Amino acid sequence: MERQKRFEKLEKRPVHLDGFVKNWDDEGLVALNGKNDPKPSITIENGVVTEMDGKKKADFDLIDKYIAEYGINLDNAEKTLNTDSVKIANMMCDPNVSRAEIIEYTTAMTPAKAAEVISQLNFAEMIMATQKMRPRRTPMTQVHATNTLDNPVEIAADAAEAALRGVPEEETTTAIARYAPMNAISIMVGAQAGRPGVITQCSVEEVDELSLGMRGFTAYAETISVYGTDRVFTDGDDTPWSKGFLASCYASRGLKMRFTSGAGSEAMMGYTEGKSMLYLEARCIYITKASGVQGLQNGGVSCIGMPGAVVGGIREVLGENLLCMSLDVECASGCDQAFSHSDIRRTGRMIGQFIAGTDYLSSGYAAEENMDNTFAGSNMDVLDYDDYITLERDMAINGGIMPITEEESIKIRHKAAVAIQAVFDGLGLPQITDEEVEAATYGSNSNDMPKRDMVQDMKAAQGLMTRGITVVDVIKALYDHDIKDVAEAVLKLAQQKVCGDYLQTSAVFLDGWKCTSAINNANDYKGPGTGYRLWEDKDKWDRLENVPWALDPQKLEF
Amino acid sequence: MSEVDDLVARIAAQLQQSGNASSASTSAGTSAGSEKELGAADYPLFEKHPDQIKTPTGKNVEEITLENVINGKVDAKDMRITPATLKLQGEIAANAGRPAIQRNFQRASELTSVPDDVVLDLYNSLRPFRSTKQELLDTAKELRDKYHAPICAGWFEEAAENYEVNKKLKGDN
Repeated sequence: MERQKRFEKLEKRPVHLDGFVKNWDDEGLVALNGKNDPKPSITIENGVVTEMDGKKKADFDLIDKYIAEYGINLDNAEKTLNTDSVKIANMMCDPNVSRAEIIEYTTAMTPAKAAEVISQLNFAEMIMATQKMRPRRTPMTQVHATNTLDNPVEIAADAAEAALRGVPEEETTTAIARYAPMNAISIMVGAQAGRPGVITQCSVEEVDELSLGMRGFTAYAETISVYGTDRVFTDGDDTPWSKGFLASCYASRGLKMRFTSGAGSEAMMGYTEGKSMLYLEARCIYITKASGVQGLQNGGVSCIGMPGAVVGGIREVLGENLLCMSLDVECASGCDQAFSHSDIRRTGRMIGQFIAGTDYLSSGYAAEENMDNTFAGSNMDVLDYDDYITLERDMAINGGIMPITEEESIKIRHKAAVAIQAVFDGLGLPQITDEEVEAATYGSNSNDMPKRDMVQDMKAAQGLMTRGITVVDVIKALYDHDIKDVAEAVLKLAQQKVCGDYLQTSAVFLDGWKCTSAINNANDYKGPGTGYRLWEDKDKWDRLENVPWALDPQKLEF
Repeated sequence: MSEVDDLVARIAAQLQQSGNASSASTSAGTSAGSEKELGAADYPLFEKHPDQIKTPTGKNVEEITLENVINGKVDAKDMRITPATLKLQGEIAANAGRPAIQRNFQRASELTSVPDDVVLDLYNSLRPFRSTKQELLDTAKELRDKYHAPICAGWFEEAAENYEVNKKLKGDN
């Protein structure tokens, strides 16, 4: 065949590096409305669920049992199941129906009913519904701070810069697992140097992660995975009862936590029971609700390639975020894994959440160059900062990341680097040199950093655990080096763990350690003129108006 | 278990707690004279009712200052949430329409007095194929008797029954 020249050019576009598949329902490669998805139903006898979504109690797997026991408000269940799904969907995107009224229905649905309701909404209606159903009034986002060398100075500097840009939560992980305690301390100190009040986490294996929290090195956790089929849940080395218990372990130490789930994880792990991604995700969301966990990170997350490959997959991803928020659960709405080679398509992947606003638009905007993102790259990274901010400015949307000047960046990165240098000295960790402080201040990725002795760092990281170091030692190290403001910030963070305010739904700290959540900053959207409006948030509006690359037309010389 | 046994277990738990620096004493942090349940208007607790927040050693939360950390009056064992504070936060959650969060905090409240390494072991024992039914039931008894944690004990008993039916006990894999 003689090639058609336009088709030849199109084939070379980045979008053709992405993977796409046609539906295969029996293997779960279907976004929603799978041919094997159960029909919604519930039978309640003497206050006990004896049948749900076409399955008798005797046939329940652990997930069914857990949801039937703890996940559904049975008082409203029969009424809800008997209400037309189109009607419930209509209420969700109708600004005249209050959020509270809808929650009476959504918390009384079965997973199959929930999937049926969400499936009624088109993409625009999902955006409408999401801006009303988000629990916290003010939308925000979260970032990653990592690098491939686990360089502590760079983690601290990147964490500080992101904090100054306005994020309330930051997450790190490790390239090499044994670095975990060191990375956890580096992101914590960096974030507190950037803006007191930012909470930080370190994503590692469940027991290790809790152990870091117990020492005061982290303030929250979110990589507590739940799954929609029994087999995959077991392969993930947990059950609903172990994960529910783990949730309580975190709360018992005053640590905020959220679960993680997302479309495609069951397909990726090979056991979907032939069900659609949305139905399986609905089960995960009800497990989260059942556990009394305040929040969930969902929306494809690290398996975004699966929904991204099937027809309507990105609509499903917004739909699962919406369902999470509609159950009155805090939502960190994915956008945290490299999604597409196409810049147009990766913008499209996040645009629904971006326009509507979620509790955290991204559960990990890369606060480092993607080459340094040890979560395997994020949908957006630091080199997208100015594009992203310009989109916020163009559309008058608070996407959670604000502009700063180059001078502000240099100043805050230096401050964080000096603080972590002091902590390493105070804790007897391998020295951080002045040369490293300078490199982290002016650098952009780990190639800009002098190489460290990684064997010594790894030994020292393990020593933090065996020596019984806690956050108190970190505070003293900062104080002894006369870095009292950061010492004070780390202390305030520890103090807040005694108070428990930030265990509530969608809670984060504003300036001055003011705790804001779905309790005292509840979403009150009821149509035009209500809810969060960027132009009423004066500080952020001013920052976007005055981006460093906007000219002042009144001062131009022609 | 008889009432006497229950009483002995309670006293033993209290003694164990008062002797364990990292534990929450049952008396610390109880709100003085406040019988009314808290709601959204009482939130954030740190701003609205700082007087009601105590540390596990009975200090007021506002005594957690840099000065007191440096001079050693406050240390890591003060920087923990107490059962009393989790109860208040549970009331706030439930009264704001989130009763499941309150139930989670009730389990958590019982775990505040369980040492860190025991908590980690408890979690691991609930993972699939880790425990026999009898081991889970023994753990439940220990939670009830030694740590006075009846809600968590019930959680383990429920898991034991369900793991047996759904084949998640040790040896089922």
